Amino acid sequence: MISVRGVRKAFGSATVLDGIDLDVHSGEVVSILGSSGSGKSTLIRCMNGLEKLDGGRITIDDFDVSRPKELSEARKRSATVFQLFNLYPHMTAVQNIALAPVEVLKIPRKQAEADARTLLDSVGLSARADAFPAQLSGGQRQRVGICRALAMKPRYLLLDEITSALDPEMTSDVLAILAKLAHDGTTMVFVTHEIEFARTISSRIVFLDKGQLVVDLPTAEFFAADGGMAKPRIAQFLSKMRKD
Amino acid sequence: MTFDLTILAPHIPFLVKGAVLTAEACVLALAGSLCIGTVVAALVTSASPLLSRIAYVYVDLFRNIPFIVQLFFFFYGLPEIGIYIDAFTTGVIALSIAGGAFTSDVIRSGILSIDPGILEAAEVSGLSKPTIFRKIVMPIALRTSVRPLGSVFVNLILTSSILSTITLNELTGSAKIVASDTFRPFEIYAVLLVAYACLTYLVSLAIGALHRYLNRDQTEAA
Repeated sequence: MISVRGVRKAFGSATVLDGIDLDVHSGEVVSILGSSGSGKSTLIRCMNGLEKLDGGRITIDDFDVSRPKELSEARKRSATVFQLFNLYPHMTAVQNIALAPVEVLKIPRKQAEADARTLLDSVGLSARADAFPAQLSGGQRQRVGICRALAMKPRYLLLDEITSALDPEMTSDVLAILAKLAHDGTTMVFVTHEIEFARTISSRIVFLDKGQLVVDLPTAEFFAADGGMAKPRIAQFLSKMRKD
Repeated sequence: MTFDLTILAPHIPFLVKGAVLTAEACVLALAGSLCIGTVVAALVTSASPLLSRIAYVYVDLFRNIPFIVQLFFFFYGLPEIGIYIDAFTTGVIALSIAGGAFTSDVIRSGILSIDPGILEAAEVSGLSKPTIFRKIVMPIALRTSVRPLGSVFVNLILTSSILSTITLNELTGSAKIVASDTFRPFEIYAVLLVAYACLTYLVSLAIGALHRYLNRDQTEAA
């Protein structure tokens, strides 16, 4: 379980997260919605230990991400996919995916590369396995990014606006992969602006506004007229997103 | 005066010996300056303010002192406190230390040009800091640093001619001896010009090939 308790984070005088409480249980798909600057990405960055907390505590399977000795264990259990892919430019798709399994999980290189090719095949990229990131389209790069995260066999997948840099066609390719992962029972925390997709695959939806958690509701309840939609801020946000 | 290269024929073995000595000193100094430069660049960009400061002091010190002064200090100064090193070893050490200061600056700028998101991706995947440096930071930094590194290395080869001032009969030292023996400085130094041009051209070719290899993703067909 990912447990977030009273998390606070500020950059200078700007408070970005203000006392967030959240639990993510095994098998859940939790979408985090909110307008730009609401703290969604910062929350993900706090979960994977990229940001130091100013208060509160985050544990992944009881490993505290704020403690250096426990962070590596927490990171073995979670994997992150980034908005801008962040692939290693000097490595091929296969090498990008196999690096961490070889170095961290100590899987033999041949085995790790064979696993990487299987993963690439599962996302329709077997023909591009030996291409470098610069030779791939945005959608293909993001699929490699997802494979790189999955190669670590994580219990939790943290996804930070992973379709924001993609055009609609590439977005649908990537979302199809996430839908399959959700269907297979992968636990995911998903920061997104894709409202309808979040509605389709999420078990719960969390809405952040100005660093505060406004609601944390099962998906159907979030979109119900007497549920999340009853909150003016959420109704306003959803209305705006749908117009866009 | 006639331009007569045949007068150099009896001295060719001696000059070749000097050229080999120059090549040996340069290869060792290039390796040494690359090692020192990499370590210092890692320290300069490290999270430790103390290590970073120490590394900066080294870079500033050895970049801002004439090489000949450093060389004389190592060769003529250190024996005064009981440290005796032969001329060849002194030359290689002095070139490595001086070259390391320039090399570290080039590698540092390459490291700083890396997209921080790439390093974050490596960090969250659980890779250790040494592995990130070895497998991610250095290969990416070298992609942009390799051309300016080539200039540093070429400069190092040219600077190696100063080693003749500490009794080392490398290429320039051998040429000086032959010039004084034959009283034909025009021919001998003309040969020297060509020899250094060839040496540095070889380094430029190697650097060009390395640059193409490190950036092959930009040029190979998709």
